Amino acid sequence: MTQPAAAAPIVRRGLLLCAVALLGLAGVYVLAIAYTPVEARQGLAQKIFYLHVPAAWSALLSFSLVGISSALFLWLHDPRLDRFAASSAEVGVAFSAVMLTTGPIWAKPIWGTWWTWDARLTLTLFLFFLFIGYLALRAALADPAERARFSAVVGILGMLLVPFIHLSVYLFRTLHPQPIVLKPSAPSLPPAMLQTLLASFAVFTLLYIGLVTVRYGIALLEEAREAADAA
Amino acid sequence: MRLALAIAAKDIRAELRSRTALLSATVFAALVLVVFNFARDPTALAAIDLAPSVLWVTFALAAMVALNRAFTIERENAALDGLLLAPVPREAIFLGKLLANLAFVGTVEAITLPLFVLFFNVAIGHALPGIIGVTALATIGFVAVGTIFSAMAVRTRFAELMLPVLLLPFMVPPLIGAVQATARLLADRPLSEVMGWLRLLALYDVVFVTLCMLAFPAVVDE
Amino acid sequence: MPPDNGGYMVAGYVVTAVILVGYAVVLWRRSRSLM
Repeated sequence: MTQPAAAAPIVRRGLLLCAVALLGLAGVYVLAIAYTPVEARQGLAQKIFYLHVPAAWSALLSFSLVGISSALFLWLHDPRLDRFAASSAEVGVAFSAVMLTTGPIWAKPIWGTWWTWDARLTLTLFLFFLFIGYLALRAALADPAERARFSAVVGILGMLLVPFIHLSVYLFRTLHPQPIVLKPSAPSLPPAMLQTLLASFAVFTLLYIGLVTVRYGIALLEEAREAADAA
Repeated sequence: MRLALAIAAKDIRAELRSRTALLSATVFAALVLVVFNFARDPTALAAIDLAPSVLWVTFALAAMVALNRAFTIERENAALDGLLLAPVPREAIFLGKLLANLAFVGTVEAITLPLFVLFFNVAIGHALPGIIGVTALATIGFVAVGTIFSAMAVRTRFAELMLPVLLLPFMVPPLIGAVQATARLLADRPLSEVMGWLRLLALYDVVFVTLCMLAFPAVVDE
Repeated sequence: MPPDNGGYMVAGYVVTAVILVGYAVVLWRRSRSLM
């Protein structure tokens, strides 16, 4: 019993949030480029930090919420939780993609290499693969009830995999001392940098909420379309 | 959990009768070893340096092939449906499947290990008990997650692709632990160095066997 | 003198914008075709 009428306002609200968030992103761009100081040792490339770190936050937020709503779904069987998990996963792919592209673009000038198996980048790569696996499984299952249950299991298992990835990669790396690298983020940030970073966190969080809302609304519309086709 | 053992025994008997899966998985593992031999430059890297990696990549791939076969047989026989109709606790079914898969993968590993020693001329005798222990721990991790994922993958159209895509990220922590532990065992490092990795493997096993057992009903029940 | 790596900054900022704005636009168009 899906109501297409209820979906449209959700989509519209989400699109509005996205528009505001994207405007905010433009504002963050201006702040980061013009307002923040240029880091003496790292140069302009350091400014990718204002995008990379909040994207990481959003990706992790997406992922945790997929895991939590998956667990709640298996407990409460509420289809809204499943719809939300799927939406959060897709949005998470977008943020992970930002992390996986800005990461190497930042690493090359700062660390001299496009890729390094450090804990953060490696974890992002895993998040990306877990998201993709989750979405691939959903795409491969026709029965909605099965799709919801199975992907919920993957969501929960994935969430619990993350600490193990973190731990094993950390242990793996402490055996292989890396060459001394410039620390990308200064221990104490000057006010302009801190303000810009916080503004960026706020924008990325708002963007997450907006994108998930739109995606959720689209899921409702797609279900209504499927039901109408079947009828 | 006598029920689990009964279920495991039934599956193992079925597999022993046909033997095709066991043979093909073992042949696959042997071929992977052959490929590894030709995929490296013997003058650049000594066999002993690569040994743990080669062994564990081979084990990981063989486990995946074995798990795929296990549930495909299941689907063809629809034996699971009969089992589900009975009031059998789902956890017992999971443990039974897990034990059967472990027996299967364990056999493939037991045949592959001597082949590995042969092909790569790696002196393994002094470290054998340790390596058997590491193999047991890591394999439990692979197979626990693999059992539940193959139960899901078998319901999709592209099960052979779906299982690796889902399972490989989950095989990485046990793989890291296994390779590091094996490397140290082969190098005769003191036990203290190996213990940390063994603890990681054991922790992974405890967490994921429990989790997969608890999640199994969601996969097989409506 | 800070190193001259402004090109990387530009690349990073452009890529991020393309991904995020691009995804938002994809969602918008999907919703349009469904509503």
